[in-house]
Amino acid sequence: MSQLRRLPKFEFVGPRSLAEVCALTAEAAAGEVLLLAGGTDAILQMRRRERTPRRVVGLKGVRDLAFVRETGEGGLAIGAMTTLAELLAAPLVRSRYALLCETAAQIGGIELRNVATVGGNVAGALPCADLPPALMALEARVKLSSRRGERWVPLDEFFPEFGRTAARDGELVSEIGLPRPAPGSGGAYLKFHDRHSMDMTVVGVSACVTRDAERGVVRDLRLAFASAAPTVFRARRAEALLRGAALTEQALEEVAEAACREADPRTSWRANREYRQALVRSLTKRAIGQAWAKAAANEGAPS
Amino acid sequence: MRSLVEVTLRVNGIDHEVAIAPWRTLLEVLRETLALTGTKRSCGEGQCGTCTVLVDGKAVNACLYLAIEAQGRDVRTIEGPPQGDPALAEIQRAFAANGAVQCGFCTPGMVMVTRALLAGNPAPNEDEIREALVGHLCRCTGYVQIVEAIQDAAGRLARQEAH
Ligand SMILES: Cc1cc2nc3c(=O)[nH]c(=O)nc-3n(C[C@H](O)[C@H](O)[C@H](O)COP(=O)(O)OP(=O)(O)OC[C@H]3O[C@@H](n4cnc5c(N)ncnc54)[C@H](O)[C@@H]3O)c2cc1C
Repeated sequence: MSQLRRLPKFEFVGPRSLAEVCALTAEAAAGEVLLLAGGTDAILQMRRRERTPRRVVGLKGVRDLAFVRETGEGGLAIGAMTTLAELLAAPLVRSRYALLCETAAQIGGIELRNVATVGGNVAGALPCADLPPALMALEARVKLSSRRGERWVPLDEFFPEFGRTAARDGELVSEIGLPRPAPGSGGAYLKFHDRHSMDMTVVGVSACVTRDAERGVVRDLRLAFASAAPTVFRARRAEALLRGAALTEQALEEVAEAACREADPRTSWRANREYRQALVRSLTKRAIGQAWAKAAANEGAPS
Repeated sequence: MRSLVEVTLRVNGIDHEVAIAPWRTLLEVLRETLALTGTKRSCGEGQCGTCTVLVDGKAVNACLYLAIEAQGRDVRTIEGPPQGDPALAEIQRAFAANGAVQCGFCTPGMVMVTRALLAGNPAPNEDEIREALVGHLCRCTGYVQIVEAIQDAAGRLARQEAH
């Protein structure tokens, strides 16, 4: 019963501010320090001895990383230590970013959402993480902070390969930034999993559609996928097929086919490659259809 | 490595001064150091909900929470405070009255998540109750009696309020 094993030994530090965290990560060699956000992935990784850090930096007391607020440009700023429950409760998220609520609500149960953080879901770089596809479809950027300063990386360039992020040399994720959604846009996240809840995503598809109401065509489309390749990714070639086009059966088939070609799913005990391909095909069509319907419902709404 | 750290853990309203190793989970410290064995240990990976306790009023899995990070927070377990917690007691009575307990292993976790649910939503509908139970497994009774117990508990607490 390896899951009942004790955690490997480590030294613990609990900084109170982002500046203190940066000072701690700056001095550390790779693998020596583990940032513990909610810990819902990291504690299990340590229990399995996949990670045996000398020092754990607990972030739960870093309150300047827990916030949800509107930016000067009318977008959204989410602090890395915002829990999924806090995200779901934020009025601005509920009113303007329904896609984020729809997605976060599908992650784990309440016990998990009370501690799991937005930053941990993104920085963990898991291909099956549910928030990154939704955030990518919303054109999120990631703010990386270190003692040297800060820089922004578009989320769709944040996962260079399986399990890795663009963060380097003591950088941590401090904030996720989102632009204000275009008027007449809508989004959907479809997560396929075996059980109704508490299960990892077999394939997840997020679609954001902006309608051109006058011409009755798709003005913009963004598609991003979980568990369909070694990293969460945006299917840019598939998206391009539908821009400026009417949403016909034929067009949807072509987009779904293109998304399949961009996907590179693996075979695991959860599902084999062919099964995941079939899911990508059907969920892509369904997600676009739902996003289109929501975009139509949002038309004229003040967002 | 200097291993033991002195911390103060506030559990059920009582401050405990304990020396703990930083790699101990809240679940291990509650059960093994504080002898509060009402909180159960089962899957050890956040799937089953038997180790659910409240930290600052919020339900969390104690198996995925470091004890050292509970410092300065308010931890509540199924044992409740020494002076009693009327809401917790009423929920427990509702579970017993509705046949929601068979082997009893999942019950402490179920009762604690109910305590948190009803504090924030005194009259949940069935969907909301089932949603709150998503992270909880019961292998004996099925969930029907548990849902009924929670509905009954909500009613009992509402009547208590009215008095
Ligand atoms: C029972 C169960 C069910 C789950 N269900 C789902 C699900 O449905 N969907 C889903 O997407 N996930 C799921 N997860 C996985 C996990 O809970 C989420 O990915 C969660 O959001 C991780 O966040 P955390 O704060 O707990 O991260 P942690 O576990 O604290 O950290 C995860 C990783 O990110 C690093 N990290 C954390 N924060 C930062 C930061 N600010 N900067 C740089 N690095 C950082 C950590 O060092 C670690 O490597 C589940 C987990 C469990 C145990």
